[in-house]
Amino acid sequence: MAVLQTERPVRRPPARTSHRRQFTGRTALVLLAFMLPAIVFVALFTYYPLLNGIQMAFRNYNLNDLSDTSWVGLKNFRTLLHDDMFRGTVKNSVVWVVGSLVPQFLIGFAMALWLRRKFRFRGTYQALVFFPWAVSGFLIGILFRWMFNGEFGVVNDLLMKAHLIDTPVPWLADAKYAMVAVIVANVWYGVTFFAIMILAALQSVPDELYEAAAIDGAGKVRTLFGITIPSIRTTLALTVLLRVIWIFNSPELIFGMTGGGPANATHTVTSYMIQVTQEGDYGRASAMGVMVVFVLILFAIFYLLAIRPRTPRTTARKVAG
Amino acid sequence: MRYRQMFASIAAAAVVAAVAACGPGPADKANGEVKLQMVESLTNPTRTALLKKLIADFEAKNSGIKVQLISPPTNQADQKIQQMLQSGKGVDVLEVRDTTVGPFSTNKWIYDMAPELKGWDGLSALTENALKVTQQGGKSYMVPYGFYGLSLFYRKDLVQQAGFSGPPKSWAELVEQAKKINDPAKNRYGYSFRGGLGAGGNAVAIISGYVIDELNHDNAFKLTDGKTIFSSPKAVDALNLYLDLFKNASPKSSVSWGYPEMVQGFTSGTTGFLLQDPEVIATVKESKTIKEDQWGTAPLPVGPTGKAAQPLANAGWGVAQGSEHKAEAVKLVKFLTSGDAAMTFSKENSLVPILKSAADDPYFKDGPWASYVAMNSSPDTYIVVTQPRGVPWSTEWGNKSDADVQKLITGKAQPAEILKGWDDYWTQKWAGK
Repeated sequence: MAVLQTERPVRRPPARTSHRRQFTGRTALVLLAFMLPAIVFVALFTYYPLLNGIQMAFRNYNLNDLSDTSWVGLKNFRTLLHDDMFRGTVKNSVVWVVGSLVPQFLIGFAMALWLRRKFRFRGTYQALVFFPWAVSGFLIGILFRWMFNGEFGVVNDLLMKAHLIDTPVPWLADAKYAMVAVIVANVWYGVTFFAIMILAALQSVPDELYEAAAIDGAGKVRTLFGITIPSIRTTLALTVLLRVIWIFNSPELIFGMTGGGPANATHTVTSYMIQVTQEGDYGRASAMGVMVVFVLILFAIFYLLAIRPRTPRTTARKVAG
Repeated sequence: MRYRQMFASIAAAAVVAAVAACGPGPADKANGEVKLQMVESLTNPTRTALLKKLIADFEAKNSGIKVQLISPPTNQADQKIQQMLQSGKGVDVLEVRDTTVGPFSTNKWIYDMAPELKGWDGLSALTENALKVTQQGGKSYMVPYGFYGLSLFYRKDLVQQAGFSGPPKSWAELVEQAKKINDPAKNRYGYSFRGGLGAGGNAVAIISGYVIDELNHDNAFKLTDGKTIFSSPKAVDALNLYLDLFKNASPKSSVSWGYPEMVQGFTSGTTGFLLQDPEVIATVKESKTIKEDQWGTAPLPVGPTGKAAQPLANAGWGVAQGSEHKAEAVKLVKFLTSGDAAMTFSKENSLVPILKSAADDPYFKDGPWASYVAMNSSPDTYIVVTQPRGVPWSTEWGNKSDADVQKLITGKAQPAEILKGWDDYWTQKWAGK
């Protein structure tokens, strides 16, 4: 029997129940089903190689002779700690990271401040400035290798034409200059990342703050340290953290430019790790990889603890103060 | 129930997608057609195009077999091949080099083709050296496609201007002439020194020339008394002369010069001498700076006793143990290493040929190739030796010796010190330590 519409009981919205009660097993199953492809892919392509790499660090895993791949405990790590070359690469890694990071940060910041202003063809300039970020590190390494070549390189040619040097500098042939050369190339390569990130953060700082600072008579330096930097503090901190990890983990530029030479003077931990991998000693290379991950995790923890805000202060009060 | 079905189907789709993402399997049969996967190692665009042309010829003559060529970038190729072989999938025919044949066969990744090659008429067409490589230790893990042998590229005009009647014959003469030609003020240097990638190999070349009379020809890193060549006092003399060549006749920046830079040094007219493989002939011919009549090649410089060790580096084609179509794969290897295909590959790739018939070919008799013919026709002066390039630690040795040569020429270590390190290294490796 048909029921008249008017006689239908009015459906009330269900009473609000707790989220936990609504989340039934069936819902969980649906959610899991939707997440499963992602879980499978991440497990297959991230965690499986990671775990495989970790277990290799404790095995005698040499691709040149796989007849004995038994567990060797900490032998690979002990070998590394007694390896003079490895110790040298640790020192080089610190120079490489600090030497690259500081100029990248300062120049990137300056570029972001400059690109924030409105001027003609700003879009074109931005595109040109950010271009290096789109090029492969290995390719940049090869380009800079030719640019820094002692005999045919454009760097020496320009320096000689500008009368800054009398004789060609063997940039990549002398241990003193080689690290400088690879750091220069890396600064050129990585500066744009800082510029992109800082520019994005700067564009989110309200203009009213700058206007208020101007009315209060704050100069450029005061505004920079009182408003700009505090406003983008989180972005700066995270960008520095990311860059430290990336620079530490990026051997391709060194590989392309010097191959770790001359006489291992530019080998960092990760470029040495690739060399050992090429030699087929996956056990020792994996041990290096585990050490790198461990050190970077420790660094990230200490760094984030060191930069966490202790007392919340408003930027306005700082400027007014 | 509906949810379970949905869950199951999504899970199945995810697994299928993940498995599909793992790439193609090895050779497969599609429509009764055999598909072979072939992977090269010493990749360059010109060579890849040449290989594709030869493969097309093979396919035309062997209907029912299709070949897919994989060409990884050179610097990662051997590692990629190792990974493919380790997985047992994705490769049927592969490029095997004298430096990789050892590890590949130790791990049972490559197939011994000896039974299939028995009675093959292509064997009798091979030169003695090529046959030796094909039948090492009674096994046939590879058939070579050519040899890489060092000879001296020199600038005829600069040698003449320096007051010499012809190119140097010995290492001592080479140093003397290179010093005369060397004039940094004019950005002109005597010698294209190899200080970067591959530096160790050239240092070993001069050492071998100095210890040639006591050299074990079958293991050219050993003397006849069983010690390493690096333990000989003559090796110290060789490295001292080599250091002199760097200090007084080479560009400072050649500390970091690898293959491209040293060749560029010669083709740009910056250096007077270059020690290189015949494949450079084609590159020098293309130079716009030095004309054809300004350069030539001379045999490898000899040591103090008038002899040189010629370690013929080689590479060739082999078949993966995991291949499901070994018969077709061997067929392709035979095709590439015999007849017109082998000759074309040698000529267009500038390689010392593997076929006896090349000796009568005018192409290999004239101009830059003449020095190779001269070396081949004087086997008592230019002694063909076998270096232990197939040992499992070959890459490790390459990296170590390159870095040590850089230490030597940058003044961080003395010749005796370097040689002591090399002697210890090989002694320990051979002792299995």
